[in-house]
Amino acid sequence: MLKIKIIISLLIIVVMASAFIYNEPPHKLTYLKLFIPRGWPRPTTNIFATNPLTEEGFVLGRKLFYDGRLSKDGNFPCSGCHQQFAAFSTYGHDFSHGFNNNLTKRNAPGLFNLAWQKEMHWDGGINHIEIQPLAPLTDLKEMAETLPRVLQKLKEDTAYVRLFKAAFKDGVINSQHMLKALAQFTGSIQSYNSRYDKVKRGEDNFTVSEKLGYKIFLDKCNSCHKEPLFTDNSFRNNGLIVNSKLPDSGRMSITGNLADLYKFKVPSLRNCSITIPYMHDGRMFSLSKVIDHYRKGIDTAQVTLDTLLKKRLIISEQERIDLLSFLYTLRDEDLLKDTRFAPPNYIQPAAKQEH
Amino acid sequence: MKVNVLLGLVFFFITCLNTLNAACQANNQANVPIKISFINTINNIPVVLDSGNYTNCWNETFNINALKYYISNVQLQTAEKKIAAEKNSYHLINEEDSASKNFSFTASPGIYKTLSFLIGIDSLMNVSGAQTNALDPLNGMFWTWNSGYVMFKLEGYSAGSAVIKNKIEYHIGGFSGANSVLRRVELNIENSAVLLDKNSTTEIIVHTNLSKIWNAVHELKISKTPICTTPGILAAGIADNYSKAFEILKVIHP
Repeated sequence: MLKIKIIISLLIIVVMASAFIYNEPPHKLTYLKLFIPRGWPRPTTNIFATNPLTEEGFVLGRKLFYDGRLSKDGNFPCSGCHQQFAAFSTYGHDFSHGFNNNLTKRNAPGLFNLAWQKEMHWDGGINHIEIQPLAPLTDLKEMAETLPRVLQKLKEDTAYVRLFKAAFKDGVINSQHMLKALAQFTGSIQSYNSRYDKVKRGEDNFTVSEKLGYKIFLDKCNSCHKEPLFTDNSFRNNGLIVNSKLPDSGRMSITGNLADLYKFKVPSLRNCSITIPYMHDGRMFSLSKVIDHYRKGIDTAQVTLDTLLKKRLIISEQERIDLLSFLYTLRDEDLLKDTRFAPPNYIQPAAKQEH
Repeated sequence: MKVNVLLGLVFFFITCLNTLNAACQANNQANVPIKISFINTINNIPVVLDSGNYTNCWNETFNINALKYYISNVQLQTAEKKIAAEKNSYHLINEEDSASKNFSFTASPGIYKTLSFLIGIDSLMNVSGAQTNALDPLNGMFWTWNSGYVMFKLEGYSAGSAVIKNKIEYHIGGFSGANSVLRRVELNIENSAVLLDKNSTTEIIVHTNLSKIWNAVHELKISKTPICTTPGILAAGIADNYSKAFEILKVIHP
């Protein structure tokens, strides 16, 4: 009787085991979750709904982001214009440098908290984070490359063959996987650890000047640069004098709607002390100039000027100084120095020995 | 003993799953194949890229060096309004690539009276991020500066065009609002498409007369509007026009 039992058991085991013979070994992915800071709204779009965030996808995306081969001559990786130390904007440049000594048409914005952005670009022309890289990659003034050539370069590199296999089940190197991996990297870049955030969490205190500045901010700026993201993601005309040498109709170039003339996306003020210069064309090289614009520079004759700016903002000299001190608290050192967002294999310089 | 019962149960489940799987496959097999083919013409003269010389109703002569358009959300419908919709239905018809000018799918058996499809890519797929196959941006049918698919592309030359190199360039797109260029075409199938035999493929040949681009609904002249590369009223008008270019040439029952 026991023998029969054993034989039956063995048979069942063999039958069951055979079910697994033709199955490939399971493809292991390390799933990650986007962190949603306390008190923040839910992300505007669930950017990882159809692109599950994984460590493997993130690592591939980071390599792509820092790889010059995504550009025609190898000199212009994404990170060329989106520098970590400048909160992923181009530090100190009104326009960024591109292929063949070209300049871009607009100022490179910082990249962080992208899951909370509905549209990309100053004019909101890009409707999904995954397809954003297509614009700089193919623009003749930026990376000037074509998709087939980029994919060819990736396919010839065994490191990429390995990374695509790790990140995606079928391991295929195609534009979809490349773009999804890039979105996993850029969508993971978050900024929520500035001094402002720490004060809000009760871990730090504002100075008297910062506190006064915060009050002025809430009074004069918060309606468009809304906490905690410091933007309401709307498109507005803030009354910049039109640059006749660089005509740019802004949002209207996307919608075709005359009511959108000269409207641009309200940028986040997070890390603004490091995303110098300012405005869509980078025309202002200091935060003081920006405040001055709202005090006395608004071109009130413009038809599409934002209703909130019809009257110039009244900010005294002392208030300007306090407002500036507050704006400096929005700088997030963690974002600027997080080695996770640094180039692959980046080794942190050893701390200086003090004698 | 307990172990045996457990193993027995697992075995039972595996058998069940296999049976279910087989049943699904049997159901799939019962579906009947259908092939849809496209023949592009200008006034019944087949389009030959780079060489043909054509004339529109305004007596403007032109040639064509690129012709691509999207066909999506393909459906067949019976007289009783029973619908057989192709799954994941996105096709790029590219005149240069003869393999792209036909596609096949399977439909449940029936006598179908109507063929319908969207010219272009539905709005949802225009806002859903990076795609692949027919929807791969690699196909050069995706705008990188104003997200969205180019639904219909015709490029060529005409002496009537005053722009550089006498170009004609119609890149028709825009998926939202009043200026959406998405057009659903419903074509009546004369004598029906009878899909009953799962072992033979019925073919519907769709024929276009693309000269309609210049006059089917709105009067457009190459001399006035040789270029249209942004969403807007002109693009929507061109879409109105080319949506009238499609008709069923014949149905081939094997």
